[in-house]
Amino acid sequence: MEAVAEQKYNFDVVRWFTVMAVVYVVVGTLVGVYIASELAWPVLNLDSPYLSFGRLRPLHTNAVIFAFGGCVLMATAFYSVQRTCGVKLWSSKMAWFTFIGWNVVIVAAVITLPLGINQSKEYAELEWPIDIAIAVVWLSYLFNFVMTIIHRKTSHIYVSNWFFLGMMVMITYLHVVNSLAIPVGLFKSYSIFSGVHDAMIQWWWGHNAVGFYLTAGFLGIMYYFVPKQVNRPVFSYRLSVIHFWALMFGYVWLGAHHLQYTALPDWTGSLGAAVSIAMIIPSWGGAVNGLMTLSGAWDRLRTDYVLRFFVISLAFYAMSTFEGPIMSIKTVNALSHYTDWTIGHVHSGALGWVAMVGMGAIYHMMTRLFHVKMYSEKLINIHFWMATIGTVIYVVAMWVSGLMQGLMWRTYDEYGALAYTFAESVEAMHPYYAMRAVGGLLFFLGAVIMLYNVILTVLMAKKAGSIQLAKTVDVKL
Amino acid sequence: MSNYFYTDYSAMTTNDWIGLSVTVIIFILMAIAYFKVFRPKNRDKLEKHKFIIMDD
Repeated sequence: MEAVAEQKYNFDVVRWFTVMAVVYVVVGTLVGVYIASELAWPVLNLDSPYLSFGRLRPLHTNAVIFAFGGCVLMATAFYSVQRTCGVKLWSSKMAWFTFIGWNVVIVAAVITLPLGINQSKEYAELEWPIDIAIAVVWLSYLFNFVMTIIHRKTSHIYVSNWFFLGMMVMITYLHVVNSLAIPVGLFKSYSIFSGVHDAMIQWWWGHNAVGFYLTAGFLGIMYYFVPKQVNRPVFSYRLSVIHFWALMFGYVWLGAHHLQYTALPDWTGSLGAAVSIAMIIPSWGGAVNGLMTLSGAWDRLRTDYVLRFFVISLAFYAMSTFEGPIMSIKTVNALSHYTDWTIGHVHSGALGWVAMVGMGAIYHMMTRLFHVKMYSEKLINIHFWMATIGTVIYVVAMWVSGLMQGLMWRTYDEYGALAYTFAESVEAMHPYYAMRAVGGLLFFLGAVIMLYNVILTVLMAKKAGSIQLAKTVDVKL
Repeated sequence: MSNYFYTDYSAMTTNDWIGLSVTVIIFILMAIAYFKVFRPKNRDKLEKHKFIIMDD
């Protein structure tokens, strides 16, 4: 029992964020599996507009990125900033405002997206009133985090807090600029950008949502939770410093590589690709730094199931940060763009890196927040294997499908006509779409097992009164 | 090669100059960061911070 930490810090809101993150990963992946199945078996849309792929897809992305990812980021940032700064959260009330506000935004997304209320901007679909609410809630998160750091008792700000802070500052800027719109009604607005500028702003946001929200933020998690789980300091602090600055200055350039062979000036795409390639160096430096933290403790992988989540996540981080730059090169992009290869790439990062490191952090925090052992260690192991195998099946299916699509679309016959119709390429994808649904289903079932394990752990803690005990037991602070 | 690197500076707009300046400044700052971080003299000073999380 970590009674000292319980009395020294404020973990109440962290507990709620942690449990809600697990609820949202189940909901988000359920919707993901359903829309993946719709692509394999279109009859599943049941001729209902509310269940159509176009409306449920943004619900899936918003649920996994902002509901699950957001709750994980808020839980881990509020947890680790207190422990690395040696002080309680600056404002408990503001933290509760962040929690309630973020969940209200998620409920608003769940209602509006299936109704077709949508700004048509990828990863920024929510309409303007919700965008304003997101900005307010996000700023409360940022402000509370910064004020906690300002009141810290340590002289140095630990590197995980740099990553969290970098994410918070950049996402504020990106979200506000990308969401600038002229409202024409309560549920309808038009972007103030148009044409090629709109495309550039959209992907400046889109790629940096990946770069800062799903990478920098989750690297903050990695730099705190991997060393804590291994119980030894990070391999190289110097490398983490370079990793941070290279990421902050590098990522903002990459958005243009999403727009190769479009109306965007050619040089911007080339520049985006060049900086993407350069980003392999800090990304791999960070991945190696995380993995090398296990030096001398690799044997623990046999028994520490939570550590397995972290190691696999770092392997996927390294893999997807190599694959992305390769896909940004124009010659490769000519084949990969608009195909399922992109979907495979995104999910190797989202499932393999983001979800795995997030789930590892949740398992790490659960025992320390609820002051009991996990209900079942065995279920953590089963979850790990289901998530890993599900991710691999998903990603491999999309790689094969994407390469086939790209090759079919560019094959010409002896007269210079296209060898395949688009419909033929869709038909050829069917086995891979079915395979993708199976991979996603495995990942989803793993998340259900996690939720079951988490709920029973919470009930065990409630029954034992462990939180109350940790709060009241006599300790020397 | 000189043709490849030829730049018509008089045609550059304010935005071009801002972009060029920011790029050059960031390049210099990154070079300084690499130099400072990997300078053997600074090793112990930086590496001691990694122990913060072992005592939280």
